[in-house]
Amino acid sequence: MAKVTFITEDGNSHLIEDAEGSLMDIAVDNGIEGIEGDCGGVGSCATCHVRVKQEWMEKVGKAEELEQDILEFEDGTCSRSRLCCQIDVDEDLDGLVVEVAKLG
Amino acid sequence: MSKCPYHDPFKEAREKGPVLETEFDGDPVAMLVDFKAVRKACRDPKTFSSDAPFRIPIPREEDVRTVRQYPFEVDPPEHADYRAIVEPLFRRPTTPEYIEKMEDLVDELVRDAAGRDSIEIVREFAIPLQSKGLTLLLNMPMSEADIWIKWGTHVFRDESGVSKGHEMEAYTNSLFDKAEANPGEDFFSHLTKAEYRGRKLTREEMQGYANIAFAGGRDTVINAISMVVAYVAEHPEALDAMRENPKLIISGTEELMRYASPVTHLGRHCPVDTDVHGTKVKADHLISLNWAAANFDPKIFKDPEEVKLDRKPNPHVAFGNGIHNCLGAAHARLTIRTLLKKLCELTSSIELVDFHRKKEVEAHYTRENAFHTLNVKMAPATP
Ligand code: HEM
Ligand code: FES
Repeated sequence: MAKVTFITEDGNSHLIEDAEGSLMDIAVDNGIEGIEGDCGGVGSCATCHVRVKQEWMEKVGKAEELEQDILEFEDGTCSRSRLCCQIDVDEDLDGLVVEVAKLG
Repeated sequence: MSKCPYHDPFKEAREKGPVLETEFDGDPVAMLVDFKAVRKACRDPKTFSSDAPFRIPIPREEDVRTVRQYPFEVDPPEHADYRAIVEPLFRRPTTPEYIEKMEDLVDELVRDAAGRDSIEIVREFAIPLQSKGLTLLLNMPMSEADIWIKWGTHVFRDESGVSKGHEMEAYTNSLFDKAEANPGEDFFSHLTKAEYRGRKLTREEMQGYANIAFAGGRDTVINAISMVVAYVAEHPEALDAMRENPKLIISGTEELMRYASPVTHLGRHCPVDTDVHGTKVKADHLISLNWAAANFDPKIFKDPEEVKLDRKPNPHVAFGNGIHNCLGAAHARLTIRTLLKKLCELTSSIELVDFHRKKEVEAHYTRENAFHTLNVKMAPATP
């Protein structure tokens, strides 16, 4: 279990206290605005785009090459961008903060 | 059946470069066959426009419809406002009630199929499933599907290619008449009540939304269903793997969509002379975004001709990409996921009896991604 925070487009913070597993599933289960997760988490739909807060980048890690290819043409992509279905939350990520990108 | 019936007919072309110079309707078309080139073009609607009624599908469709399709054949900034009108309806397939209704529907159809000696999948299974499924999306009584089932695979042309699009337009027009007289909660009533930038939609616009809901969601879904049944009939180990690990149903659905790529390609219009990766496209001419070719690009998909049910990431573009990405995708995904789930649960074996493939024959390629007929024997699961 870990705490994670989503900062949505409107600037609001949403703290999830008991997060575990795919960050996309966590967002969808908690109705986080801007994360749809249409493809179920296999990296086809890019409706789960987040930007990881700089201080968490080292722990979460950068997008792999293929994930970068997917993100390349999305709106609001930067070096901190990830598809959150590709991020697994465990105790190591306790306290994680991500910004939800605008849906393309 | 060969090992990979959806074999990649664009392999050679892609090895030569991102553009296959081909032709349709007697005009040159610059066809993009490389994944990155396709995705990049999707993101550039100024250069590669959708504001070309009847010409976004290739070959062109003037002979089969009289209305522009919404929001399919519209560019930004208007596109977003047109799309927003129907977006909430197309998101309903993610709600628990909708998922349950789809499960009940597929459950009934698979039980029926498994109870017969053999079944012709296209007519007796895929068309009923697509038609009844569409009543859920359009929020209509399921009995309305009886009319749609009689239409055959294509709503625009009969088997000999003759246009019958006007029949469908007359039918949807009558639905809007009914909705205006007596509005309910269905798709048609929603459109009669909707506002676009402070005004009501015109009847022509309403007809344009209805047109793509029937045409865009027809042969695509029917072919996807048939292809999935054919695949699992040929690969019983695939269903076993999904029974063992139900997560494979989700990733397997994406992989089978990539593999089948029910829509081969769609067009974009170049308003001015344009250099497309070295190919000169004249003003008022078309490029094509080849989703099927992009989905077999080995630079992105390792062993593209192999089905890997657990492929991840799987950035396929079977449902398009960018602002025009398929509105029906949530419904289509749910249809295929539920189909796989119920085939796992309710059948013990699926045997291929015989089949007759449909060929898409064009100037520079032939593609087999559908069936005229597909006969299988399904045995019910032993309780
Ligand atoms: C397996 C099934 C399906 C496939 C493979 C598919 C494929 C596609 C593709 C490739 C596009 C992109 C168009 C473009 O970029 O120009 C698209 C758009 C669209 N599809 Fe689908 N489709 C499917 C099912 C459906 C269904 C069931 C419906 C509705 C009943 C539907 C309605 C639409 C609409 C309205 C658009 C236009 C969206 C826009 O322009 O914003 N599709 N589809
Ligand atoms: S959920 Fe589809 S890409 Fe992440």
